[in-house]
Amino acid sequence: MIGFWEALALLLLVGSALAVVRLQNAVHAALALIANFLVVAGVYVALEARFVAMIQVIVYAGAIVVLFLFVIMLLSAASANVGPDLLPRLPWVAALGALGLASLLTFAALQFSPPASPGSLAGGLPQALGPLLYDPERWLFALLAVGFLLLVATVAAVVLVEPERILAATTHPAHPQRAGQPEPPLSERKEGRAVVK
Amino acid sequence: MKGMQGLGVLLGVLALSPALAAETAVAEATDPLWMVGLKAFLVIFGLLTAFAYMTLVERRLLARIQIRQGPNRVGPTGLLQPLADAIKSIFKEDLVVAKADRVVFVLAPMISVTFAVLTFGLIPFGPKDAFFGYDPWVIDLDVGLLYVFAVSEIAIYGIFLAGWASNSKYSLLGSLRSSASMISYELALGISLLAPVLLVGSLNLRQIVEWQHQNGWLILYMLPAFAIFLLTSMAEAARTPFDLPEAEQELVGGYNTEYSSIKWALFQMAEYIHLITASALIPTLFLGGWRMPGFMEQIPVIGGIFSLPYLWMFVKIAFFLFFFIWVRGTLFRLRYDQLMVFSWGRLFPLALVWFLLSAGVVAFGLPLSLLAWLSLASLVGFLVYAAVTARPDPKAPSRLGNRGGVRV
Repeated sequence: MIGFWEALALLLLVGSALAVVRLQNAVHAALALIANFLVVAGVYVALEARFVAMIQVIVYAGAIVVLFLFVIMLLSAASANVGPDLLPRLPWVAALGALGLASLLTFAALQFSPPASPGSLAGGLPQALGPLLYDPERWLFALLAVGFLLLVATVAAVVLVEPERILAATTHPAHPQRAGQPEPPLSERKEGRAVVK
Repeated sequence: MKGMQGLGVLLGVLALSPALAAETAVAEATDPLWMVGLKAFLVIFGLLTAFAYMTLVERRLLARIQIRQGPNRVGPTGLLQPLADAIKSIFKEDLVVAKADRVVFVLAPMISVTFAVLTFGLIPFGPKDAFFGYDPWVIDLDVGLLYVFAVSEIAIYGIFLAGWASNSKYSLLGSLRSSASMISYELALGISLLAPVLLVGSLNLRQIVEWQHQNGWLILYMLPAFAIFLLTSMAEAARTPFDLPEAEQELVGGYNTEYSSIKWALFQMAEYIHLITASALIPTLFLGGWRMPGFMEQIPVIGGIFSLPYLWMFVKIAFFLFFFIWVRGTLFRLRYDQLMVFSWGRLFPLALVWFLLSAGVVAFGLPLSLLAWLSLASLVGFLVYAAVTARPDPKAPSRLGNRGGVRV
């Protein structure tokens, strides 16, 4: 039932996923994460989902892990080894979550039936995927909702990172004197944040 | 020794990923497997030879630009210099810094080179069956352009891990700079290519070349996209004026400071192979690929003589290689904040606006000539802008300044 390639993919997937969790060094864990994403991409290729496979490599193995590594190196480059467990009760919660996920996946596997016409997937190419994704009767609104969610998250991240600048442009009880004043141009600002007079 | 086990898994995966790529390739190839293997070998062999001689060409050309002689002692006019360099690199002492992360330190140059050579096989060098009855490309992927992106993004990790594993501040600064600039320029790079892909309706490099044969070179319709792609691919290959990761004056050598001998040579190899790949990719996407200029086909005699499949591709690659060396000999390096402002403040919005314009043209079925006029208008606009801002105020403050951000 399980052939050589399936077994190999399974082994590498589980092995690299375990390595992500168990490795003590954060950079090593990020490397194992890249490995995991690459194997997932390989599985996608084997399932004829080529567009998804390439996006998996570009977005996850490429962009996202680069950001992870960037943050790791910037914040704790000298001590990439983590200390004592900061969340001691996490394994129990994780075990509960894993149990739930496993039961869901078992249910899905039991319910699974192969698609009626795999030919319509056309090798998972973008030309076949696009009309499905942007079809108002299928996933268009879900896609728009996800896009909106990401936009909100981006704005939230900006607000979290630079609260002073946002506050400087709006009324706030802590800074009543600045209400309605335009933000000074970049060239007139002193070092650091917006000028507080 | 858990670290070792995890890295063992990683090594296995890295060994597997070219195999996965090959599996994808075989699914689409019409050639027999041994032929695909042979062509892959030829491409890698050719790239390595080209790399060796690119170092010589670059040193000689730079010397010429700077009114020097350049290396001319080994062999006739220095032609054996790459051989001498290779022998020297191999027989030098191979140092591994005592406090380095040994496994990652050794792995980094391998990642760099492996993923550098994986892209070039996609470039079509001629029509079907032009390579002694076989196809003149190694793999022909329907998601070709995405594959190029994916592989070149993984190749960044070589530089990145080298800097971290060296456990040295110069190396780390170099790799932090490189990752920051890669993230910034990747965005503009990707978006600049969306417009041509939308116009052609395919990610397949061969189909992009065919479209250009039917409708004229994409540079005519996509001048801003071409300019942005040219600049960002220079930045991605970390060439002057974007070579912040290896700024010799500030960082000794950047990410490869602690590397010596053949490992250092491997990084050089990866860098030049990226450059050669970029020089092949730019004409394939924007300048008609392996085909000759359309108007020349109309001329009776010349059209027949110069329609050789490989000739034009090599001419175009050579032109862009020369262009990159020329730029390196002419321009100075950007400051770090200039680099960032240029990417996020200029290239990225420009790429976005151009993408929206061309998406509008495609969506509303407007004629192609409109895009050509828009390209022309953007060229005129750029020239006017360049003329107006030709003399920057030397007292103007830095745009990024010390605004609380982290200076890398």
